Amino acid sequence: MAGVLSESTREGELWERLDDKRIRCFACGHRCPIFEGQPGVCKVRFNSGGKLQVPWGYAAGVHADPIEKKPFFHVRPGAVALSFGMLGCDLHCGYCQNWVTSQTLRDPRAVSMGERVTPEQLVEAALARGAEALVSTYNEPLITAEWAVAVFKVAKAAGLVTGFVSNGNATPEVLEYLRPWLDLYKVDLKSFDDRRYRELGGRLEPILDSLRRIHELGFWLEVVTLVVPGFNDSAGELRQMAEFLAGISPDIPWHVTAFHQDYKMTGGRDTGAGDLMRAVEAGRAAGLRYIYAGNLPGELAGQEDTRCPGCAETLVRRRGYRVLEYRLTAGGACPKCGTVIPGRWRR
Amino acid sequence: MAYVITDTCTKDELCVEACPVDCIHPKKDEAGFEEIKHLMIDGEACIDCGACVPVCPTNSIYALDELPADLQAFAAANAAYYGR
Repeated sequence: MAGVLSESTREGELWERLDDKRIRCFACGHRCPIFEGQPGVCKVRFNSGGKLQVPWGYAAGVHADPIEKKPFFHVRPGAVALSFGMLGCDLHCGYCQNWVTSQTLRDPRAVSMGERVTPEQLVEAALARGAEALVSTYNEPLITAEWAVAVFKVAKAAGLVTGFVSNGNATPEVLEYLRPWLDLYKVDLKSFDDRRYRELGGRLEPILDSLRRIHELGFWLEVVTLVVPGFNDSAGELRQMAEFLAGISPDIPWHVTAFHQDYKMTGGRDTGAGDLMRAVEAGRAAGLRYIYAGNLPGELAGQEDTRCPGCAETLVRRRGYRVLEYRLTAGGACPKCGTVIPGRWRR
Repeated sequence: MAYVITDTCTKDELCVEACPVDCIHPKKDEAGFEEIKHLMIDGEACIDCGACVPVCPTNSIYALDELPADLQAFAAANAAYYGR
């Protein structure tokens, strides 16, 4: 598999020479120093002849999904998002739900193949399915940022909205590189505890720094926290995450979603409605205006809906990934009190 | 889980130069480098990426759960260096 993948590469752009032995990749927050012949932590970006080779020209999964599944709730409700993935990840979360693709190069049990594809073919596939968005997801898109930009250049020319579903372990350099071509950015805030992040293979600080920058740079940001009982659901940690986000902007949508046992994390229990409700309340107490309970469709009445922060009118009613009712004005405002709801709504 | 350095380490610091989170000490310019027998990994700071393993010319670094029985003492030695 690694052999097949090494053929689907080209020289990357997000790297620099470090010294006579090493280069540094800055596609993700690891900023890997990489010796000749070695891969970075992601296993898909590697030093060959003193140059960084990066993934190119293949997809390991292409699906038409509702944009709510990404999840983006403040972007063209009900739109089809053509979603494409590649292989590999810079983290190794024990509860990953896409581990067959994300851990292909790290875990011999995860066997997944890619198929050769061009940016034009991906965009044609999106248009053929009536998609309004093209989204890099399933594995970590930052580690394939050069390819994403190549795809998104064609996508933007075709009038599509572009998105990343990412763990947010970014760098200032990669965010600047993506900005002209990327509209939507979903970040997983998995914990507020650096030790927990290290268990997952990362660090907290680059994630927090990236969240601030993604908002400042004007990407449309939505944040997901998978609430894992016993891992990140203490009252203090939920409050810290919510307050951090509200401190950037109370308009950032926060999706608190239910965990189910997967991959290596199978010893605990699944997240219940009561757990999610505690997270929703933590978000509300912190001042966040748009909090959504996810992965338990219909179990928490009204907690999947968008309500007006001005007059509490229900503006978008949802169940799971389905939009049941959409009442925003053409200008993206509440029809009752006129409060403008932030997002990338259909004009 | 973390990784563990054992006593075939030659303190060449290649692992230090490959580590993305600077969790391997002592380094040449740090106290105790001359006296210590082998470098040590801080298991709490380690992100389990394994970047140190392939660059070690003496194969001195093991994943904790793959550490051979006769080298188990090094897990404690690495942890103890960081006061764990």
